Amino acid sequence: MTRDKALGIVLLGVATVYYLAARAIPASDLADVVGPRGLPTAYAAGLALLSVLLLVRRESAHAKAGPVVSPAVLARVLGLLVIGVLYILLVPWVGYPVAIAGLLIGTSYYQGGRLDRRVVLVGISGAIVLWLVFVQVLGIDHPVGAWLERLLGEA
Amino acid sequence: MTDGFWSIVPAAFGGVAWGILGGALPGISPSITMALLLPFTFGLDAAVAVVLLASTYVGAEYGGSIPAILIRTPGTNAAAATVVDGHMMKLQGKAGEALGISLYSGFVGGLFGLTVLVLLTEPLSGVALAFTPAAYFALGILGLSVIASLSRESLLKALIAGVLGLMIASIGTDPVTGTSRFTFGSPELLGGIPTIIVMVGVFAIAELFEQSGAPGWAQATERPRIRIPSPAMWKRLAVPQLIGSVIGTFEGIIPGGGGTVSSFLAYNEARRWSRHKEEFGHGSPEGVAAPEAANNTVACTALIPMLSLGIPSSNSAAVLLGGFLMHGLIPGPMLFVQHGDVVSSLYAGLLAANVAMVIVGYLMMGPCIWLVGRPKPYLMAFIYALVVSGVFSIEASLFHVGAALAFGVVGYGMRYFQVPVLPMVLGVVLGFMVESNYRRALVLSSGDYTTFVSNPVSASLLALALVFVVGSLVRRSRSKEEASV
Repeated sequence: MTRDKALGIVLLGVATVYYLAARAIPASDLADVVGPRGLPTAYAAGLALLSVLLLVRRESAHAKAGPVVSPAVLARVLGLLVIGVLYILLVPWVGYPVAIAGLLIGTSYYQGGRLDRRVVLVGISGAIVLWLVFVQVLGIDHPVGAWLERLLGEA
Repeated sequence: MTDGFWSIVPAAFGGVAWGILGGALPGISPSITMALLLPFTFGLDAAVAVVLLASTYVGAEYGGSIPAILIRTPGTNAAAATVVDGHMMKLQGKAGEALGISLYSGFVGGLFGLTVLVLLTEPLSGVALAFTPAAYFALGILGLSVIASLSRESLLKALIAGVLGLMIASIGTDPVTGTSRFTFGSPELLGGIPTIIVMVGVFAIAELFEQSGAPGWAQATERPRIRIPSPAMWKRLAVPQLIGSVIGTFEGIIPGGGGTVSSFLAYNEARRWSRHKEEFGHGSPEGVAAPEAANNTVACTALIPMLSLGIPSSNSAAVLLGGFLMHGLIPGPMLFVQHGDVVSSLYAGLLAANVAMVIVGYLMMGPCIWLVGRPKPYLMAFIYALVVSGVFSIEASLFHVGAALAFGVVGYGMRYFQVPVLPMVLGVVLGFMVESNYRRALVLSSGDYTTFVSNPVSASLLALALVFVVGSLVRRSRSKEEASV
């Protein structure tokens, strides 16, 4: 299957799911002529039509010569994504300084840095800089961490 | 001015410094440099925030020429035309002179662009005072059609991207009835997906994903000092700088033009009008001056359609528009009436940014070379950490961090499938304007759909949108025929 055909099928799926969700929008007594479902339904129809056109048209040479993603590259991209997801899951528990240091060390290592003292040092010093900037200077309430909160609560 | 001239000047200097650093990193475009900064501007005064972002754009356009000259790798797409003669000058031992020409030509282009911006923006926005809801709806459709039809990728894919953007914009509370749409019971989605989250995802995170699979860039082997061009050189550079500035003006105003197209056009025109044509490609100072003047002109003139009509003509202008919207500033004629102080601050800030570029450009040379020389894994890790920390800062929401990651995946997928990102971003930005004005127009006309064609402004804008789409189809089919001959 060509790249455009695969994209066409994915988009047709998106249009269908979006249409079904649009039909499920509750009606309102305040509704105008169009209503809250009106334009979303039109968008779904528009996307479905464009997806079908993408499926039936002849693929251009330009599209065929698109970027090639090798399994190794895909693994790196997925790894980066997993590190981000792990950060979101762990930050409420371990707190911002620890989680961001983990993200720095994990990303540096996963992107080709050696897991040595330098990577760890860069991660820890980077985390301290970011903590100073975001928490101390900008005053953002990044998560302290459930363990530290518990510890402080007991003290 | 909102916060006084002295709060604008540090913002201009800071923005330029950040822009030069970001622009100097290969793969980090001006829009990404601005998107990285966007979350930090949330708590700032509106005028300071927009000056910071606009100055970043100015700085990034110059920063891109540093690796282009020193390591033959353009830091930004717009600096690609500078590689040809800039790096050749470096090989001839004239790296300092090439960097000086780039810096001063950027300064000249920036001032030219700023003058045009100040002269054209307000009169153009005055036109929009005659707009009814039907006309605003048509303007939104025109903006999407122009961006889609001028996209380098397939028109079909650009239209798909535009519709996807409109679909994303429909998430949240319905603008007329207050009904929840596509929220699936999640309170975080009630307010919709903030434009800034979409931008950080599709520009910054998608670029990180892209860079994770790309090889590392070359390292600079020398640390040249920037040299001010001599009076004789100034005289020689006047024509290519003028050519670059004029081309940059037109390309900045036209949606879809941008710095890259303008710098290549300026390079070609400078060669055509030069008395030293034979030097082009072999280290011509004019070959550096013209593209650098052009892309810095664009950094100002790209703001003309954005400020006057709310239609961004490039990725960077779209990010700046995101900064405006984040502070409750709606571009268009009312911006000049209700927030004239912010507009004045922006003009003053851009003037300060262009002056700052010359000063900061000298000071930042060492840090830029140091930064480009850092191991890529560490740089990527720090940018990633900066993105997740910055996105959280907007509303202290981990949900937003997850949404930005999701849009990073979407942006990466769009690059793989060669779907342009700008029409989608524009769809997200214009979605509310399109829907609310469409429905308001129908309420005012008691449900009469002919209101969109009976109103002369609305009818003209819709006809223009049709002309752009049909014209694009004809142009593409002609170029296909020529290619097959």
